[in-house]
Amino acid sequence: MTRTLLALKLSLFRNGPHNERGFSLVSGLVLAALVVTGAALAGRGVVQEGWIAVAITVWGGMWLFGPLAQPRHDPSVISREWLRGYPIRPWRLARALSWTELLGVGPLITLACLTSLVVLAAPGGPVVVAIAVVAVVAQLYLLVWAGKTVAALASWLLQTRAGMTLAATQTAVMLAVSFAGWVPFAAWLLPRLGEGDTALVTPSLGGLPEPVADVLAALPTGWGYGAVVAARDGAGPGAVVPPVAALLVVGALLQLGWIALTARALRRPPRRAAPRRPAVPGRGLSLPFTSPQVSAVVARELATWLRDPARGVELRSAWLTPLLMALIIAFTDWSWALPLVGPAAAVFGAMVAINTYALDGTALWQLLTTPGALKADVRGRMAAWALLFGVPSVVLAAVLWAASGSPLGGAAVCGAVAAAAVGCAAAPLLAVVMPAVGTDARDRVYPGQQAGDPTGGQMTVFPVVGLAGVLGALWWAMLLPAVAVLYAAPALTLRLLRRRGTALLDAMASRDAAASVR
Amino acid sequence: MPDLSVPAVQVTDLTQRFGSVVAVDGLSLTIPPGMFYGIVGPNGAGKTTTLTAVCGLREPTSGSIRIAGHDLRTARETALAQLGVMMDGLSLPERLTATEVLRYSAGLRGLDDGWRARARDLLEILGLDAVRRTLIVEYSTGMRKKINLALAMLHRPRVLVLDEPFEAIDPVSAHSIEQVLKQYVDAGGTVVLSSHIMDFVERNCRRVAVVAGGRVLVEGPVEEVAAGSTLNERFVELVGADPVRPLEWLA
Repeated sequence: MTRTLLALKLSLFRNGPHNERGFSLVSGLVLAALVVTGAALAGRGVVQEGWIAVAITVWGGMWLFGPLAQPRHDPSVISREWLRGYPIRPWRLARALSWTELLGVGPLITLACLTSLVVLAAPGGPVVVAIAVVAVVAQLYLLVWAGKTVAALASWLLQTRAGMTLAATQTAVMLAVSFAGWVPFAAWLLPRLGEGDTALVTPSLGGLPEPVADVLAALPTGWGYGAVVAARDGAGPGAVVPPVAALLVVGALLQLGWIALTARALRRPPRRAAPRRPAVPGRGLSLPFTSPQVSAVVARELATWLRDPARGVELRSAWLTPLLMALIIAFTDWSWALPLVGPAAAVFGAMVAINTYALDGTALWQLLTTPGALKADVRGRMAAWALLFGVPSVVLAAVLWAASGSPLGGAAVCGAVAAAAVGCAAAPLLAVVMPAVGTDARDRVYPGQQAGDPTGGQMTVFPVVGLAGVLGALWWAMLLPAVAVLYAAPALTLRLLRRRGTALLDAMASRDAAASVR
Repeated sequence: MPDLSVPAVQVTDLTQRFGSVVAVDGLSLTIPPGMFYGIVGPNGAGKTTTLTAVCGLREPTSGSIRIAGHDLRTARETALAQLGVMMDGLSLPERLTATEVLRYSAGLRGLDDGWRARARDLLEILGLDAVRRTLIVEYSTGMRKKINLALAMLHRPRVLVLDEPFEAIDPVSAHSIEQVLKQYVDAGGTVVLSSHIMDFVERNCRRVAVVAGGRVLVEGPVEEVAAGSTLNERFVELVGADPVRPLEWLA
């Protein structure tokens, strides 16, 4: 059975889609080549070899946190739904499936990265190289199963409403650390930047401190590294065998854990997370300055943002990320930078709202067959975005300005207004231009299901809205172009929807992300 | 009362190509107002493609479509305003309840307050008032068909276009949908539906078109098309069914 499943997985790989896999393979191999080059340089004493331990720890961290960082993704290639119908014991099926998990881009690029250990071992002679090869295999085994088990656990958790909050919190932490994690270091290097003093405190980095290298070697991600360095330095079997054996034992335990979780998933269909239900169904919404058509769309959008599992994760993470960023900044000497979180909040709001048409899926047919509905829909989506993300980002900038008394407060509020205006206009436009089609709305019941990967759209909207925020902060007159974008973009979105709406519907009905609407 | 001299739906020389595949090949239909009209055909015959084009959800390769006299290409909004549409297998605003989705649809169409009474009636007759807090995404297939029908009828359209309204639903749900459609036609509305349920078509439709290979094989009053047989027998005869040889391994 294992051979059949391996052949099936190879066929699925051959049939594509290849874009994402190809990108991961190339970028992964480039990063792995950098690590291997670093190991070669360490052999010549150019780089301290402790940095290789750092690189492998970060790589291992990607295995552990990667699947969680993208809670929308279902990492399995072979459908569990399809296998569930076969009269084969779930445990046996899961065991056979487990070996197919070793086929993939992730294990391949990790193997390439871990060959850096063989490079480190090379000066020790053929026996040490042979030990390094065993350590590489054992380290790969542990990393793959740690990553797969965490992903399976996350997939199980994401079937619950609590899991939705957990996923959003985790994404928010990752984003906040990515976007504001540098602030403590920058505040350390430039402690008086807020007062206009650009005097740089020069850090003495040099080599990796010995205790840090020891800690990294003691972590499971460093066991292979520790064994190889010990073997090369002539330490006895007592320093080499235990870490390699531990890699294999812990890896086997994690594989067993994955098999148990997968067997559980095969035994019963995924349960539906109880959706958030309205306390008083059918309550209408009446907004000032809007037509009943637009009000109807705003009411639909607000309900959908709160109840749709995929949108729910995005909403929570977009709200939580700026707050966490503010928390990180508040504990540094850069409290003057706090109001700048306001424009950042508008950027995150735009990033999470650039795939709404694809998330709503084939419900687009109703808009296409209702006279005047497309125009109301575009304006309603914008109004809902303004209520959920735009206005809160401006308020956040103002509140943080008041709390910090920052001299940049006024600029930050202007930046937030500009970013919110552009984000409000750009989000529906990009949702039409770059839809990431996934499981249709009617079949999406929990956030772990594939809801389309909007990374391309997010990478597009990020610099656009970010730039608007920066320009708005630097020069208040830039608010005028931002407002012009807000005025002009809906007409373009509407025009595109009228011209390409049926093609977009076709793409979503066939669930073909490649069936572009362009 | 509708103008009886203007066809409810007029499809002229409709052709729909998908690359090299011709899904609909010069198909023409004239459906008078107040008619219960069935389109039947094997899978891949072009029924759904035709109905999708009639609803304005697909730009035809060539040919024209008029709804109550309004050309779908040149007077799209007016033509669409005459239609109530129920498509098979497509989503709705999934995170709304039945009441909310009807309120949303009424708002989107700018309907006057009369929609509330119609929505109450439709929800009651279709048995959806018992699941007031259930979201559409949690609906069964039968419930989906019912809420789709309620949405299609809420604005009192002149023409209802229904794609496979009885596919994969239980007899009780089918019965309630059938009763609502009968009332609608009795009140002067036009129903155009595609179906594989020959029994239903024979029982309710006054005219039927048998479609295969993207063309109309035969069209007319159901009794004439059936030509003394049941509609099912006549359908198999017209479309042609390959003989099934005995499977020895089943013995």
